[in-house]
Amino acid sequence: MSAPDQRVPFSYARLALIAGNTFLEAVRQKLFNLMLLLAVGLVASVQAFRAFNFGSSELKFIFDYGLGALVFFGSALTVTATAQLFFSEIESRTALTLLAKPVWRTEFIFGKLLGVWAVVGVFCALVTGLLIGLIAYREHALMAANPEMFTGAGRPVPYGDIVIVGVLQWLKFGVLAAATLLIASFSNTNLYTVIVGFFVLVICHLQYIAVEAYAHLTSLPLRVLVATLSHVFPNFQVFNLAEQIGPDSGVDGLVALRVAAYALTYIFVLGGLAVYSFRQREI
Amino acid sequence: MPPAPAPPAAVPPASARPATAAIELRGLTKDFPVGLRGVKLRAVDNLTLDVPAGQVFGLLGPNGSGKSTTIKVILGLLEPTLGTCRVFGVPSGQVASRRNVGYLPESPYFYRYLSGEELVRFYARVCGVPRARLAARVGEVIEWVGLTGAAGRRVGTYSKGMLQRIGLAQALVHDPRLIILDEPTAGVDPVGSAEISAMILRLKAEGKTVLITSHLLAQIEDVCDRIAILDRGRLILAGTVAELVGRRDRQALLVETLPEAELAELRAWLAARGRTLEAVEQPRTRLDQLFLREIARSEGQREGRS
Ligand SMILES: Nc1ncnc2c1ncn2[C@@H]1O[C@H](COP(=O)(O)OP(=O)(O)OP(=O)(O)O)[C@@H](O)[C@H]1O
Ligand SMILES: [Mg+2]
Repeated sequence: MSAPDQRVPFSYARLALIAGNTFLEAVRQKLFNLMLLLAVGLVASVQAFRAFNFGSSELKFIFDYGLGALVFFGSALTVTATAQLFFSEIESRTALTLLAKPVWRTEFIFGKLLGVWAVVGVFCALVTGLLIGLIAYREHALMAANPEMFTGAGRPVPYGDIVIVGVLQWLKFGVLAAATLLIASFSNTNLYTVIVGFFVLVICHLQYIAVEAYAHLTSLPLRVLVATLSHVFPNFQVFNLAEQIGPDSGVDGLVALRVAAYALTYIFVLGGLAVYSFRQREI
Repeated sequence: MPPAPAPPAAVPPASARPATAAIELRGLTKDFPVGLRGVKLRAVDNLTLDVPAGQVFGLLGPNGSGKSTTIKVILGLLEPTLGTCRVFGVPSGQVASRRNVGYLPESPYFYRYLSGEELVRFYARVCGVPRARLAARVGEVIEWVGLTGAAGRRVGTYSKGMLQRIGLAQALVHDPRLIILDEPTAGVDPVGSAEISAMILRLKAEGKTVLITSHLLAQIEDVCDRIAILDRGRLILAGTVAELVGRRDRQALLVETLPEAELAELRAWLAARGRTLEAVEQPRTRLDQLFLREIARSEGQREGRS
């Protein structure tokens, strides 16, 4: 009866269940309605700028504008949704019931992470898809209006690269979600988590400036310190491959893969730290 | 000091030791940090207790006496400051100790965005109920707790008593061997309370162990085999209900109301045998029994009409 061999192995099925439930919570909280609203806003605002008629640079403008919206709203969504979906479990004490079942805390944390990442994934897919649709629509219209602008190079818009840029942003949001979850795992309130999460976001975006500024330092301890910090905080600038998109160049596939590996490494390390810290937490 | 656990080889087979403890607490102490200067609150103080398998065990005590804290330690949700806790022999820090445990938290609150049925199904799947039996099992426990009609509604719309009931359903869905109920009757109507009592007795008949806390002492007395009373985290009394509240030297006889003359005769009869009639009382129906009877009658009438 009381067999000591009754182990409970780590289960991907349970992890997926928790992730699915987290995703469902986001769906039923009408988070996606909000996203849809954002998307409609995006289309409408791009339509408003059309009046200026930028010519073929208009397409570049639409792309930059859409990417900006993806980065900005995606970051905000990632930080707030991660904190909210984590603390809804803690504050409403549903974590109590769940963790009183044979559930590993690792399954709980990575389940939450995966659920949030799926939500953000839907958002990225939505905005990227919309952006491609908008660009294709304008490209078609511009081609019809002044075909001489489009001679030679063929279709100037590298749609594949836009998809890659969207995927890379999604990977970046995965890193951000893992970092936010790490903060949430030891903090007491939702608000604190969101605020610190945004600080981390800014640091990750700007850390490359510090690293460049201190590159010429001669003092070894300072160099070590800066190097350490630059590894503690992931560098979000590496995800920004949009500059590489253009008529002649394209996104280098190998670079994209390396960036993806960079993101996954950070996701696992930060997620692992979140599990470690959550294990000490009293529910 | 907690005794060292016996090596597995020395443990006799289950059939040879029917009275294994489902829960073993040894010197359990739990401190909470409160205040700024490292002030500690001792919520549970050196508690040593066995909950024998197959029994209904009542954990009693005033508010804040450490009942819920003890339960959370048993479930591995809190780490003991000192002492040990084992569930079916497995230390409660390990995930495996929760395998055979169902838990109803006090004032439960569940995923508001799920329907009652989705909620129970989610927990069933988390606990590894096989897919083939999932739908049948979920329907069965929902019927037990009397929520079949409301199973499709969002949990967020449930009343307090309905939350307790759905909580009970999720605690039972994976057919655990140990069921821990933290105030299962709080907010439940007397009919529901009586149903919960009946369910606890049925679980006991199936050989399950039940640990229950409640402030309804009459109910505890009816269903529990053993009780323990805590006060400020300390165990102040433990034992079987029969030995604690039973009086073996007294009997109560219930008869039709006797005329005064016959009563005098009875007294004389007893006096001739050297005994006395200590009390003559008019028994009253207990209010809960009256309530249950009247509700049953009203429901019966409504069914008759419809
Ligand atoms: N997380 C916590 N942090 C600080 N103190 C706590 C915490 N949880 C419980 N306590 C304290 O521990 C003591 C015991 O609380 P517990 O919830 O175990 O009481 P209880 O016996 O279940 O009471 P009730 O009958 O009201 O449910 C109380 O004084 C409570 O304030
Ligand atoms: Mg309590």
